[in-house]
Amino acid sequence: MFYGLSTIYSVFLWRKGFRRDDWVNYLLIAGGVALHTLAMTKRGLTLQSCPVNNLYEATTFLLWALGLASLVYSLLPRFKFLAAFTAPVLFTIGVFALMPSLDPPHGPKPEFSGALRSLHAATSLQAYGAFGLAAVAAGMLLMQRHDLKFNKLRAMLSLLPSMQRLELITFRLVAAGFGLLTIGLIAGQQLPRPEGKPYFSDTKVIWSALLWLVYLESLMAYKFFGRSSRRFALVTIIAFAVLLLTFWITNLNSPMHQP
Amino acid sequence: MSVVVIGLSHRSSPVALRERFAFAGETIPHALASLRASLATEAVILSTCNRVEVYAVTTLAPEAAVAELKKFLLAHHAYDGALGDELYAFAEPHSLHHLFKVASGLDSMVIGETEIFGQLKAAYELAFTHKHTGARLNKAFQRAFNVAKHIRTETNIQRGSVSVMSAAVELAEKIFSSLAEHEVLVIGAGETSEKTARALLSRGARGVVVTNRSPERATALAAELGGRAVPFAQWPDEFVQIDIAISSTAARDHILDRATLEPLMKRRKHRPLLLIDIAVPRDIDPAVSELDNVYLYNVDDLQSIATEYLNLRKEEVARCEKIIGEKVAALLEANKYAAAR
Repeated sequence: MFYGLSTIYSVFLWRKGFRRDDWVNYLLIAGGVALHTLAMTKRGLTLQSCPVNNLYEATTFLLWALGLASLVYSLLPRFKFLAAFTAPVLFTIGVFALMPSLDPPHGPKPEFSGALRSLHAATSLQAYGAFGLAAVAAGMLLMQRHDLKFNKLRAMLSLLPSMQRLELITFRLVAAGFGLLTIGLIAGQQLPRPEGKPYFSDTKVIWSALLWLVYLESLMAYKFFGRSSRRFALVTIIAFAVLLLTFWITNLNSPMHQP
Repeated sequence: MSVVVIGLSHRSSPVALRERFAFAGETIPHALASLRASLATEAVILSTCNRVEVYAVTTLAPEAAVAELKKFLLAHHAYDGALGDELYAFAEPHSLHHLFKVASGLDSMVIGETEIFGQLKAAYELAFTHKHTGARLNKAFQRAFNVAKHIRTETNIQRGSVSVMSAAVELAEKIFSSLAEHEVLVIGAGETSEKTARALLSRGARGVVVTNRSPERATALAAELGGRAVPFAQWPDEFVQIDIAISSTAARDHILDRATLEPLMKRRKHRPLLLIDIAVPRDIDPAVSELDNVYLYNVDDLQSIATEYLNLRKEEVARCEKIIGEKVAALLEANKYAAAR
């Protein structure tokens, strides 16, 4: 509900050109994240493990990581509107997570247990959260770029950060996500798997490795081969959109993740 | 006893009349002393290029006080011409309302400007130092300064750039996170480009490169700005290291077009480039803005930014007036309470 209200409020902020620097949206997302944390803690305590055991839990964990990161980054000067850009993403993923089929009842023992599994799941999902926030910052960057390029007054009147700053934040978030995904993949490789089944034969692992390659290429091209900030931002947004659209499908088709 | 104000401003009179009534800085203490000797218990004189005002506390009734202050002004400046609406006068509560408006920049030529705040403070401090103020004016001026600060933080009255130069600076800050890492190229040493370069330097720009058809003028301006001059034929080479270019030559045709800039952008590794074209006719072909990471603004674009900000400030006036109304009422209430004790 909080994410929904924040989305509605974000539309008003957008219509007004992000001119007034207020805390309403930030507080709405903070309220949502606080309740979200409470719900996840309760579920984690019930399961006695990190609550990332099925698709619903994985999705809400991703949502939580995204919400929390947006709250932290919103504290940077002129980044308060990051919450306004994140709200629609949070709301969309949140509505999707409510599908009952994503949350089947747990057996007597959760499928996922143990520190390494928790580490694998948590770092991978936090990586997706970082990629999500990078996509949000990239969206802000493209909007600023478009407004400045086409001499729109909104670029001047809005209280958004400078383009260079948005570019730096996008890069850092993608780099952080990439690092977390690398840890997640390495931790996943150490986990026990069905006899004779190689790690890179699972749909979800292949998907994650492809994702890893896409982000590696994007980071390298931007940092060392002069890829423009516009292209970097576009790749960041498209990669996260593909991630969101294929996350559930690959999860459902992965024997390792849906035993 | 109440606060009375009499004066002329840019709203009521032309500059020719204002300068006739202006007080030279060194004559103000003497003028204040003669005011206090004849009709006022407390007095402050504010004299700037846009206004001349006398704030006074007298034991006279407001109408009589205004008449006496008018006589004083005319006599002090030996003015024997006719004066009508050019001279305005207010008694309490309107005098306090006016003082608060002046302090907040609401009565200024450029709404929301802050220079008047400093000028008013200096005028008050001069009177205070010479012991020409007392409880009433001290309280009124202190409140006026507080209200001005409150309005500055709580409203958008001072937000944004209302001149072409400051709009250019703000534009640069929308693209670059810090100007400290970026150098400015000035093509054509005109007055506006010089002022814009100065504004960018004052906001921390790393340095300035000046080029002009007349090398002497380029060298002179570069020396003034603490930068370096380059021959006019060589300015394209500077594009590799600069990130902001201000152009204001008197050329009849474009001096920078897409074909020239495209290879330069490759050499710059497509770093963002802000081009400010303040020349008429324009120096830079608008087609260059089709290039990635090139941001081109001409004088009309900058002017429309400044105008929009001015409109935004005008929209805020009603909010400020409301705050001032409340603060004046609170001050009058406090004065009433103090008088009753």
